[in-house]
Amino acid sequence: MRWFEAIKKGIQRTDFYLCSVGMSLLIPMMLLTAADVIGRAAWAQPIPGAVEVSSYMLACFVLLGVAYTHQVKGHVRISMLVARLPQWAGLILDVITTLLSLFIISILAWQGWIVGIEQRTVSDMLRIPQLPFRLLVSVAGLFLSLELLIDLSASIGRLLRR
Amino acid sequence: MTLDPITTGVIGTLLVFFLLFLGMPIAFSLMLVGFAGIAYLSSLEAALPVAARTVYEVSAYYPYTVIPLFIVMGGFAGSSGMTHELYRAFDKWLRRLPGGLGIATIGACAGFAAVSGSSVATAATMGSIAAPEMKRFRYDPRLATGSIAAGGTLGFLIPPSIGFIVYGMLTEQSIGKLLIAGIIPGVILAAAYMGIIVLKVKVNPGLAPVSPEPVTWREKLVALTDIWEPLAIFLLVMGGIYMGFFTPTEAGAIGATTLFLVSLIKRKLNGRNLAQALQEAARISVMVLFLVAGANVFSYFLALSTIPMKVATWTAGLQVSPYLVHAFMILIYLFLGCFLDAISMMVLTMPVVFPVVVALGFDPIWFGVIVVLMMEAGLITPPLGLNIFTVAGVVKDVPVEDIFRGTLPFLLSILATVLLITIFPKLALLLPSMMLR
Repeated sequence: MRWFEAIKKGIQRTDFYLCSVGMSLLIPMMLLTAADVIGRAAWAQPIPGAVEVSSYMLACFVLLGVAYTHQVKGHVRISMLVARLPQWAGLILDVITTLLSLFIISILAWQGWIVGIEQRTVSDMLRIPQLPFRLLVSVAGLFLSLELLIDLSASIGRLLRR
Repeated sequence: MTLDPITTGVIGTLLVFFLLFLGMPIAFSLMLVGFAGIAYLSSLEAALPVAARTVYEVSAYYPYTVIPLFIVMGGFAGSSGMTHELYRAFDKWLRRLPGGLGIATIGACAGFAAVSGSSVATAATMGSIAAPEMKRFRYDPRLATGSIAAGGTLGFLIPPSIGFIVYGMLTEQSIGKLLIAGIIPGVILAAAYMGIIVLKVKVNPGLAPVSPEPVTWREKLVALTDIWEPLAIFLLVMGGIYMGFFTPTEAGAIGATTLFLVSLIKRKLNGRNLAQALQEAARISVMVLFLVAGANVFSYFLALSTIPMKVATWTAGLQVSPYLVHAFMILIYLFLGCFLDAISMMVLTMPVVFPVVVALGFDPIWFGVIVVLMMEAGLITPPLGLNIFTVAGVVKDVPVEDIFRGTLPFLLSILATVLLITIFPKLALLLPSMMLR
């Protein structure tokens, strides 16, 4: 099972790096908006395209962080009931809910690609195409699915070891 | 057999709650049931792309930048040492009052809430500063931990507040007006918390037996210099929104940039706490925006089922006072708050509750303040009050049950504030109605 551990580590590492890239965009996003406001107020000279660049950065910031947020259990869930059940029952519920999550997130990854690849829209001012940012939905869905598969294998593994 | 839209909607709603209790992440269960519902009521082809489209639209919507900006602003405020400074200042001024250290904790929490959007962070930082101090002066552990956990909830009401932003996002109300509407109720609630502490200590002086040593006037005046920084930032950010100089998003950027520069100049920002602040912002923003995306998919399904419209017309046609319905909704929020976190509670209820509120003729901004107050209550109600567990994580020697008991009087003051704002809606609406834009 050493190869499995290696793959799992690789996925988790990748998700961490993706999130790090996304979150570092918050600093330019913050400075750009602040500069835009100051430019507008002081010299009546806003930064052209600041809003659309910020929106694209927000898309990267959020979508690249989706899988890592799942890894650190950041997506809220109610564990009150599961925690009170006997361990085997809790694990079975985990398997069921992870499978259901995997189902909808795979649809997200698949449709993210289908919807994104047809996109021809460009931004109003700077004419930046939307396509690569739309495709990030698919990337987010793909890596989130991989995280869910890791969860699934962990729950099944613990269930079998009992 | 085919089900009519309303029955489908009801089954869908029940299914969401069922999946929630099985432990499925809330955002995913909303998306899944929304998808299934749309597929059933419309067609599979119509349902397939909805989630992908919604996720993109939510994550690339410029006004939502306000969420990471307000969170990172609080992160920078924390790493610049503002929490310590605020506590020091309030402590110098208020420590001689009955239960003075508890009152200082509430004051410092309110002060920090004015520059931070996250309430859990407030409770955690305050816990590590104020709890040892109160222990040193032999304060009753319930009073001590209760005041920290309750003080932490102020972050949800006093702007900048993520609660108001999400309410604004879900109901398409002006986020600027909502944030401004939170100021007066926030001050009232902080004062009510302080009143509770004074009252408790007056009735039972044993709760705060030792009075800390006195402070000279010179020390008090010097301590004031610790307050000017957060005060100036609050005035800049909220004043800017109030005067119509900038939007909440721009205010978030200005506030975050200022605090970023302040902590750089003070040499308080290093690689580690910068990464920590950014990571917190990413984690909370992703969580919130994914919940909103899930809620939007689910709302689309609910709209197809015509439930929100039917419920709204039905309630409006009831021959009862709208305030009875209002009281009933508050009870529901109190109940949901026991096991749901604040944002999920809002996301799950708004699609049905908001049309009812509008149909009954209530002011949407006023109702936003009420809902945010009820979400604050949810942060300290058993068995799943988030702030309780945060405080329990920091203050290790007080059992969770004691912290819950300690927060009970504060919970009552939240309900009293809700009542007060219901009777005098002007308390919430006065400031937004005077806004220039």
